[in-house]
Amino acid sequence: MADTENTPGNSMHGVSAKEKAFAFSVASPIMPTDPIAKFKLPVDSEHKAKVFKIFSLASPHMTTFHLSWLSFFTCFVSTFAAAPLVPIIRDNLNLIKTDIGNAGIASVSGSIFSRLVMGAVCDLLGPRYGCAFLIMLSAPTVFSMVFVSSARGYIAARFMIGFSLATFVSCQYWMSTMFNGKIIGLVNGTAAGWGNMGGGITQLLMPFIYELIRRAGATPFTAWRIAFFAPGCLHVIMGILVLTLGQDLPDGNLNTLQKKGDVPKDKFPKVLWYAITNYRTWIFVLLYGMSLGIELTIDNVIAEYFFDRFNLKLHTAGVIAATFGMANIFARPLGGLMSDMAARPFGMRGRLWNLYIVQTLGGIFCICLGRASTLPLSILSMILFSITTQAACGATFGIIPFISRRSLGVISGLTGAGGNFGSGLTQLLFFTSSRHSTATGISLMGIMIVCCTFPVALVHFPQWGSMFLPATKDSEKSKEEYYYGAEWNEEEKQRGLHHGSLKFAENSRSERGKRVGSDPTPISATPAPV
Amino acid sequence: MAARGLLLASIYLSLLVHECYGVTLFSSLQKTLQVTTTTKRGQVLKAGEDKLTITWGLNQSLAAGTDSAYKTMKLQLCFAPVSQKDRAWRKTEDHLNKDKTCSFKIVEKPYNKSLQTLDWIIESDVPTATYFVRAYALNAERHEVAYGQSTNDQKTTNLFDIQAITGRHASLDIASVCFSVFSVVALFGFFFHEKRKARMSPQK
Repeated sequence: MADTENTPGNSMHGVSAKEKAFAFSVASPIMPTDPIAKFKLPVDSEHKAKVFKIFSLASPHMTTFHLSWLSFFTCFVSTFAAAPLVPIIRDNLNLIKTDIGNAGIASVSGSIFSRLVMGAVCDLLGPRYGCAFLIMLSAPTVFSMVFVSSARGYIAARFMIGFSLATFVSCQYWMSTMFNGKIIGLVNGTAAGWGNMGGGITQLLMPFIYELIRRAGATPFTAWRIAFFAPGCLHVIMGILVLTLGQDLPDGNLNTLQKKGDVPKDKFPKVLWYAITNYRTWIFVLLYGMSLGIELTIDNVIAEYFFDRFNLKLHTAGVIAATFGMANIFARPLGGLMSDMAARPFGMRGRLWNLYIVQTLGGIFCICLGRASTLPLSILSMILFSITTQAACGATFGIIPFISRRSLGVISGLTGAGGNFGSGLTQLLFFTSSRHSTATGISLMGIMIVCCTFPVALVHFPQWGSMFLPATKDSEKSKEEYYYGAEWNEEEKQRGLHHGSLKFAENSRSERGKRVGSDPTPISATPAPV
Repeated sequence: MAARGLLLASIYLSLLVHECYGVTLFSSLQKTLQVTTTTKRGQVLKAGEDKLTITWGLNQSLAAGTDSAYKTMKLQLCFAPVSQKDRAWRKTEDHLNKDKTCSFKIVEKPYNKSLQTLDWIIESDVPTATYFVRAYALNAERHEVAYGQSTNDQKTTNLFDIQAITGRHASLDIASVCFSVFSVVALFGFFFHEKRKARMSPQK
C-alpha cells in the first residue's frame, strides 16, 4: 500500500520522538543507507540525508540547508531593518507614536497571509522557486523605502516587505525534502533559529551602515534611505544563489524529474478539518503568539526603547537590541533540547511543564525589563528575557509534531501565523497609543504573557496525560494508535492510508516517559508494510 | 559570554561617569536672559536653505552682578508643545538631563555681556515641526544657571515653523528602480530559460 510518508507538502513530517535537539552531527541509525546513491552524505532510500553536518557545504543536502536558512535570515534582516533606524525615520517623516506602532504591526501582518499561501506555492513550483520568487519579488519593496515621504508610505512599505517572512515555510519545506524524518526536528529547529537571528543582526547592521554612509558625507535623512540598499541587494544576491546553486529534491529539480506515480496525496479539506477541530491547535496558536509573537514585537521596539529611555547613541542602542535577537543562535535549540531532556523521564507531561515554566519565566523577565530603570539591570533583564522566550519557541515545536500526524503541515502553518498575529496584537495593544510609555507597555506585555501561558495546562493527551492529569486508564484510549488513528475514517483505514500514522504512533511511545518499557505491544496494530 | 560581560561592565562604567553631571532642574533656573527671533507669523523656514536671525543677551534691566557666574552661552532650538504631542521622545522634563525639549544646538559661545546677533542657516537634519529658541547660561562647571527664550512661559507666542528636507534624491530614486527591475527581470529570465530547457530536453 502506498505510503504517504515524506512526500512534499508534509513539512516536519514523520518527526519521531527520539531526535536530539542539540547535537552537531546526528545520524539516524534505523533507516538503511542506500548503498548505490553517490552523495557525499549517507542517504536513505529517498536520497534524503541521514546525517546533519552543520559545517559542511556538501551538495545538495548541506548546500540546501545553508541556502535555505540564509534566505530566511535575509528576509528577517529586511523586515526589521527599519526598527533600529526609527529615531531618524520618525524625524524625517514627521511620525507620531501611532504611526510607528502601526508600521510595526504592518511589518508582521503581511506574512500571516503569505505564510499560509507559501505551502501551496511550494507544492506547485517547488521550494526552490517558492523561495526565489518571494525573495526576488520582495527586493523591490525593500528598495521602495527610498521613495517613502509620509507615514502612509512608510507603513505600506513595511507591510509589503513583511510578506517576505513566508520564507520560513519554504525553508522548512525544503529541509523536509532533503533530510530524513528522524533528524528533521534538529535541522528545522536550527534553520528556524538561525533565520530568526536576522532580527537581531539587523539591529547592529543597519545603524553601522547608516553611520558609515553619514561619515561619507550624506545628511541623516538621506543616509538612512541609502542604508536600505544593503538588505535589498542581499535579497537579490540570495535569490540568484538559490536559483543557481539550489535544487528542489536530492535527485534534481521538480520539473526535470518524473513525478512518482500514484502516490496518493492527502485531501487538503480533510487535512484542514483535522487541524482546526483539534483544540490543541488553537491553544498552541495562542502560545506561539506569546513566544514568537513577543520576539517579533521586541525586534521592532527595543532599539528605539533603549535609545529614548537611556539616551544612548543610535548604534549603542542597536548593539544592545541585537543581543536580544542573536540569542536565537543557541536559545531556540536549547528549548528543544530541554524539551527532549524533560521527555526522557516524564514523557509528554515533562515537555508541557518545560514549556509552561520557560514561557512563564519569559513573561516574568519581560515585566522586569519594563520596570528596570537603570541600564545594567535593563540589559540583564533583556538577556534573560530573550533566552527564555526563544527557548519557549523551541519548546513549542518540540510538542507540535505530536498534536497530529496527518495535519502536521497545516498545524505548523497555523501556529506560525499565530506567532505573527500575536506580534501584531501586542504591538497594537501596548506600543501604538500614547496613553502609556513604552516601558509600561513592556511590563503589561509581560503580564499578558504570564496569563496567556496558563492554557498549556489544558492540553491533554489521553495516552500521555497533561500537566495536572495522568494518562487515561481506559485500555483503548490510552494507546497512541487510537489517538492518531482517530484522524482517519473507516473507509480510509480500509485503504490502508493510515499506516504512516500507525508507524508514527509506535515511534511516539517514548512520550510516555519511564512507563514505556512496562506496556505490552498492542495486538490490534497492523504491521506496517515497508 | 565574556564579550557580554565586558559590554555590561563598560556600559555600567559609562553610566557612572554620566551620573556625575549633577542634577539641574529647569524650574530652579533664573530667567535672566532675553532672546528674540525675527520670524513673521505663519512663516515657514526651509531646513538647509533659510536663515534664522536670533538676538540674545542678558536682560539689561537687571542689577549688575547677576551674571557673575556665567561663563558660556548655549543657544538651542526647542520644540513647541504642538510638536511634542504624541511624541514621547520629545517630552519636557524638569530634570535637564532627561529633558528632550531642546534637541538641536544652534551655537555655543563664551559669555558676552552685550546683545549678540546670529544669522543661523537651519541645518539639514532638523525635522518638520514648530519651534522656539532658548538660551542657557552655563557656569564654570558647565551646569545651566540661567535661561531665556523667544516665547512666553506657556510657549504659545512667537513660534515659527521649519520644513525639513525630504532626504530624497533623484539619483537614489533611479538607482532604486534599476535594482528593482534587475531583480524582477533576472527572476523571470531564469524561470523561462529553465522552462524552455526542460521542454527542449528529450521527454522520458
